[in-house]
Amino acid sequence: MCPWSGRTTLGMSTNAVFSLQNQSTAVASGGKIPVEHLDYDYIETCKDVKYLERILKVLRSGEEGIYPPLIKFCETHLEKLDPRSRALRKENYAATAAKDEWSQIIDELKMWQRETKNIEISLRQQSLFDDLVNRNMPPIRGSNCSVPLNQTSHSKGKGSSSKCTLPRDYREWDKFDVEKESERIDGNVVNNSPPATINTGHPKIQIKVDASLLTQQEKFLLANHEKDKGNEAFRANDYEEAVAYYSRSLSIIPTVAAYNNRAQAELNLKHWHNAMRDCQSVLKLEPGNMKALLRRATVHKHMGNVQLAAEDLRTVLMKEPQNAAATQLLSEVEKKLKECQLQRQSKGRKIFIQEVEEEDDKSDNETKAEQTVCPVDPSQQVRGEESSAAPVERGDMGNAQKKPHGRGDGRPHSESSNSHQRSKGGSAEKYKGTQESNEKLANGTSKSDSTTSAQADQSSSGKGTLVGGVAGEAVNLDAPCGALPPPLARLKNEGNQLFKNGQFANALEKYSHAIQGYTDSGIDSPEDLCILYSNRAACYLKDGNCQECIQDCTSALELQPFSLKPLLRRAMAYESLERYRTAYVDYKTVLQIDISVRAAHDSINRITRLLIEQDGPEWREKLPEIPAVPLSAQQHHREEPPSAEVLQAQAEKTARDAERKAEAHFTALKQEGNDFVKKGQYQNALGKYTECLKLKPEECAIYTNRALCYLKLERFSEAKQDCDAALKLEPTNKKAFYRRALANKGLKDYLACSSDLHEVLQQDPSVQEAEKELEEVTVLLRQSLATASPAQPRKTVPITEVESDEETTAVPNSESSFIGEDVAVNLRPTNAYEFGQALNAACCSRNTAACADLLASTAPDKLPQYLSTKLDGHAISFIMEALDSHLLEKDPSLVYQHLSYLHTAERFSVVLMLLEKDERHRMTQLFEHLSAVESTEYTKNDVQNLAKKYI
Amino acid sequence: MSSPLSKPQIIAHIQKSLNYTVFDSKWIPCSAKFVCMGNFPKGTGVMQIYEIQHGEAQLIQQVEKPKPIKCGTFGATSLQQRHIATGNFDGNLNIWNLEMPEVPVYTVKAHKEIVNCIDGVGGLGIGDGAPEIVTGSRDGTVKVWDPRQKDSPVANMEPVEGETKRDCWTVAFGHAINDQDRCVCAGYDNGDIKLFDLRNMSVRWETNIKNGICCVEFDRKDIIMNKLVATSLEGKFHVFDMRTQHPSKGFASVSEKAHKSTIWQVRHLPQNRDIFMTTGGAGTLHLWKYEYPAQRSKKDSDGVDVGVAGSVNLLQNVTLSTQPIASLDWSPDKQGLCVCSGFDQSVRVLIVTKLNVL
Repeated sequence: MCPWSGRTTLGMSTNAVFSLQNQSTAVASGGKIPVEHLDYDYIETCKDVKYLERILKVLRSGEEGIYPPLIKFCETHLEKLDPRSRALRKENYAATAAKDEWSQIIDELKMWQRETKNIEISLRQQSLFDDLVNRNMPPIRGSNCSVPLNQTSHSKGKGSSSKCTLPRDYREWDKFDVEKESERIDGNVVNNSPPATINTGHPKIQIKVDASLLTQQEKFLLANHEKDKGNEAFRANDYEEAVAYYSRSLSIIPTVAAYNNRAQAELNLKHWHNAMRDCQSVLKLEPGNMKALLRRATVHKHMGNVQLAAEDLRTVLMKEPQNAAATQLLSEVEKKLKECQLQRQSKGRKIFIQEVEEEDDKSDNETKAEQTVCPVDPSQQVRGEESSAAPVERGDMGNAQKKPHGRGDGRPHSESSNSHQRSKGGSAEKYKGTQESNEKLANGTSKSDSTTSAQADQSSSGKGTLVGGVAGEAVNLDAPCGALPPPLARLKNEGNQLFKNGQFANALEKYSHAIQGYTDSGIDSPEDLCILYSNRAACYLKDGNCQECIQDCTSALELQPFSLKPLLRRAMAYESLERYRTAYVDYKTVLQIDISVRAAHDSINRITRLLIEQDGPEWREKLPEIPAVPLSAQQHHREEPPSAEVLQAQAEKTARDAERKAEAHFTALKQEGNDFVKKGQYQNALGKYTECLKLKPEECAIYTNRALCYLKLERFSEAKQDCDAALKLEPTNKKAFYRRALANKGLKDYLACSSDLHEVLQQDPSVQEAEKELEEVTVLLRQSLATASPAQPRKTVPITEVESDEETTAVPNSESSFIGEDVAVNLRPTNAYEFGQALNAACCSRNTAACADLLASTAPDKLPQYLSTKLDGHAISFIMEALDSHLLEKDPSLVYQHLSYLHTAERFSVVLMLLEKDERHRMTQLFEHLSAVESTEYTKNDVQNLAKKYI
Repeated sequence: MSSPLSKPQIIAHIQKSLNYTVFDSKWIPCSAKFVCMGNFPKGTGVMQIYEIQHGEAQLIQQVEKPKPIKCGTFGATSLQQRHIATGNFDGNLNIWNLEMPEVPVYTVKAHKEIVNCIDGVGGLGIGDGAPEIVTGSRDGTVKVWDPRQKDSPVANMEPVEGETKRDCWTVAFGHAINDQDRCVCAGYDNGDIKLFDLRNMSVRWETNIKNGICCVEFDRKDIIMNKLVATSLEGKFHVFDMRTQHPSKGFASVSEKAHKSTIWQVRHLPQNRDIFMTTGGAGTLHLWKYEYPAQRSKKDSDGVDVGVAGSVNLLQNVTLSTQPIASLDWSPDKQGLCVCSGFDQSVRVLIVTKLNVL
C-alpha cells in the first residue's frame, strides 16, 4: 500500500479557487476530481501544479483503485513542473551508507575522537590559569533590571496582541489536530510591526580580539570560529562584515587561509590596496600560494599593472596548468597588454595632450571609477572620460566586454573564476564609482585652470576633435607643455603616454630625463618641474618604490606647496610604508585643499581605524602637526557655484605667475604667520602678517588672518579695520564678516555684530559658529536694550553660552551677575517682549518683589498674552512665589484674578506636567493661603475650582 | 530534486535506550562526550555523561538529583571549565562542574515554576562580553543571570502585574557582537515572540505567529542579528531575516510547513549558519538550507527599507521514531555529528554527511 496516503497535499482545502490555465473544462473549486482526469494523457497535458497535487493525492489514497505506474508517472510529471512540491516529499528512514563510505566515515570519526581526547587533556592541564581569564572579563551587567513584557517599542504591537489566540489548556493538546490547524493557518504569513533599523553595523564589530590570556589551543579554536563566521558572511555577500570577522580571526592567530579569504573579500569590495597587502602577507607566510598569486594578479590587473598581473598568472599556470580562472584572467590581461603595445607601436592614433595627472590619479583611486562605470552605461563613460584622453577608453575595452556577472557567488575558499566578478551587492559600489568619476572630472576641470592657458586651449581643442568623432590621428607628442622647451615637453609627453600604457619603468626614465634636462637648461618654471616630479612620483608609486616616491613628492611640494597630487601620492606612499601618522597628515592636508577627494576620505577612515588600534584613544596626540592650508590653495567642491574665493584664488594664481619670487617670500611669511597662529603666538603672527601686507596689500586672506590675531589680542577696533579692508577687497568674504562680527561684539556694537552675522548666515546657512554667536548676540542685544543700563566702562565680557531666555535661571551666567539686585526692571510693560524681558530680569536675580510689582502693574487678562510661548516651569514657579510672598497680602483678589487667567496661557498644561515636586508644593501652598484669605471677590469654592486646574 | 547521492544523508550511528525520560542532550565542547538530562519514573532528576568509543556510547558517569532536570547549556562557560548550567522542574538554576557533579558550583532559585528553557552566551569563545545565562519559565518570566553574581538576575523580563502570565517555552541569545550589544529572544505558549535588547533593556520587537512557539534560535549568537528561526506547535516554522527591521512590518519572514506535527526544536549547524535541522513530533528530522534572496532589503512605497526573506530548501528528512524528538545538539567540533533524544526514552547519535559541499 501507499505509505504516504493522507499526508500528501496539506492545505489543499484552503485553496478556494482552482483554475486550470490550459483546460477549458475547469473543475469546480474543491470539487471531486473526475475519474477521467486520472489518466496518462490528462496528467501529461495538465500544467496546474496544485491540481496535479490533488490528483496525486487521490491516486495515492486508492479511492479509485491503485495504479502504481500511474502514481509514478504523476510524480515524475509533477517533479518536472515543480521539483520542490511538498507532495513529493517522502518519508525517509535513517540512511545506511555504502560499505566503503561507511568505513571512511568511521575512520574519520575515530581520528576525531583521538584528537579531541588530546585537546581535552591539554585543556584540562591548563585550567590552572582560570583566574587569569576571569580577570579579563567584562563587568557584570547592572543588577536586576526589569523589563515589563508589555512594553512595546511600537504602538502597533497592541494590534497584534489583541489578535492572539488564547492559550490552550494543557489537556487540550491531546486532542490537537495538527492537520486541521495547519490547514487553517496555511497561506497567511504573519509579519508584524515595530521600529526601522537596519542591522548592518559592522563598525560595531570589534575587529580585534584580546586573546592574550588564552592558551594556544583556545586561540586556534577561536581563530577558526571567527574565520567560519567570515566565510558565512562572505557567502551571504556581506563582504564588509566578512572582512571584520577575518580581521578578528587574524588578530588571534594569523593564518594563511584567513589572509587569503580576507583578500578575496577586499577584492570584492574593490579595496585593492588592502587586498594587495593581504596577498603579500600570505606570500610572506607561504611563498607560492596559488590563491594568493591569483588574487594578487587580479589586484594588479585592476590597479593597471598589467605586466605584473601577467607575471603572477604565469607562475600560477606553471604550477597548475589546468587552472581555468588563471587562464581566463591571463587571456584578458594579455589582450589588455596587446592593446597597450598596439597603441604604442602605431605611434598615436589618438590625440594626447592632457597631462598624465588626471588619468593616473584615477588609477591611484583604485581604477574603479572607470572599471565600474563602463559596464553600467557606456554613454556615462564617454561623459566621464571626455576630458581625459581617449586612450583611457581603449584601455577599458577589455573590461567593457566583460559582462556584469549575475551573482557574486565567489567563495573565498573556492578557486572558481570569481576573482574579478562583480557582486550583486556591489550596486552601491557602482554608484560610488560613477560619482567618483564625475568628481574626478570636476577635479580635472578645475585643475586645467592651473595649467597654463596654452595647455588649456590645447585640451579644449582636443576635446573638440574627440567629440566630433574625428579622433585625430596623430599623437601630438610635441604639444607644448607649460614653459618647457620643446625637447623637454616631448620627453614629458612620451612619459605620459608610457605611463598610460602601464610601462611605468619607461615612463620613469623619460621623466628623469626631462627633470635632468630641466635643471641643465636652467629654466625658471617651478610649476612645470613640480608636475614632472609629481609624475615621476606616480611612476615610483606604481612600481612600489615608495621611498623614491616620497622624495619626489617632497621635492614637488617644495616647489609648489599645497599642490594636490604630490600630496596625495606622498600620502599613499606613506600608507604603503605603513607610516600611518604621516600618511594621515598628508591626507588631511589633501582634504583641506579639496574636500571632495574620495580616496583621501576612504584612506583617512582606514588609517584612523588602524591608528586607534595601534595607539588607543589618544592616537591623535601622537600625530605630527597638520599644516593649515592657506585659503588661496583650497579648492572648492564643484557642486557649489564657483564662489568668490575660488575666483579670487584663481586670480591670485595668474598674478603669482608674474611675481613668483616675491610670492615665495610672501608665502613663507604667511606660512610663518599661520604657524604662529597655531601655536597661539598671536603677537608674532601679527608681525608676519603685517610684513605680508607690505609685500601685497591686496591680499584678502592676510587681512582676515590678521583680524583673527587682533581679535585674539582683543584689539577689536584694529580687527574691525582689517575686516573692513578685507571686505573692500572681497565684499563677500564670509570669514571677514564673521570676524568683523566678533570685533563688533567685542566693541559692544551688538547691532552691527548681528547684522554681520546675518550676512554670514545668508551666504552660508550652515556655519554653526555664526548661528551660535548670533543667538548669543541677540540675547545680549535684548539685554542691552531692555536693561538700558548705561554702559559702564568695562573690559571684555567673558561671554559664556546663554542658552535661551527660559533657562536663564538654570544656567547661572555672567549676565545675571551684573544685572544684580539693583536691576532696573521695566515695571510698565506694554507688550509681550517687554514683559518677557522684565520677568526674565527679575527671574534671573530671583527678585520676587520686582516680579510682584510687575504682576501688580499688569492687567490679569493680558497675562496669558504677555507670557505667550515664553512660559516654562521656572517662570510659573517664580510667579507663584512672587504672588505668594508679596502680592497675596496686598491684594488677594488680584492674585485670584491672575491665577484665573494664568492657566489659559499657551503651553500651560504642558508646563504644568513638567513641574518638579517642590514647585508643585509651592503651588499648593499658594492656593492654601489664598483660600485662607477672606475676600469679597471670590469664595472658597472658586479657589477650589481654580486649584483643580492647577493641581 | 537532485540526485540522491549528492544530497546529505542522515545516518543513525548509535542508538541507546535509557531507563528514564530524557529531556535534553548536549555535547561537551571539545570532547567526544555528551550529557543527557531527564527524570526517572520515580520523580527524581538524572544527568548522565556518555562518551563515544568504538562506535558505542559508553556511560561514564551518572548522577541523581532530587528534581527532574529539564534543560542545560554550555554556552556561558569557558573552554577550560566546561561547566554545564541546568534548569530543573523546581525552578532552580544550577551550574555543575562535571568532574565533581555532586555539589553545584552555582545555584539559585531562579523561578517559581519549572525552568522550561535555558541558553548561554559569552563562553566558549562565542560572543564577546560577560558570560550570561538566560532562563525561561512557566511562571512567565525570562531572567538573565551572570554566574559571577549570586542570588539575583542581572535582567528580568516579566509580565506586568495583573497581566496573564504566559508560559515561556523557549529562549535564545543573539546579537552578541561586542561587550555591550546583546539580545534575548523568547517564545511563549500563545505564539508571542519577543525580542529583548539587553543593551537598552527594552522590548525591541514582538510578533505573534498564532501558535505556541516551541523553539527559537538565532543562526549565530555572536554576529550581527542575521536570521531567527521560530518553530511552532502546529508544524510550521518561520525564518525571520533580522537584518532589516521595518517600522511597521518588522522583520521579513518566510514560513515553511513540515513534520505534520509540532516542531520541537531547531538547531543551526555550528559550521554553517544557513543549514539547520528541525525535529518533529512524529519522530522526524528535517534538514534545511536557507537561501538568501538576491537583495536582502528593498524600499517600500514610502522609501523605507524593508527586508526581503529568502527561501528554505529541504535537503533531507528522516523518520527515527514514532515519538517526538525533543532535543537535538550538533557537535561544535565535528561537523555533521549530532545527538538527539526523544520521548521514546532513547538517545541517538547521528552523522549527517556531505555538509561540507553545500
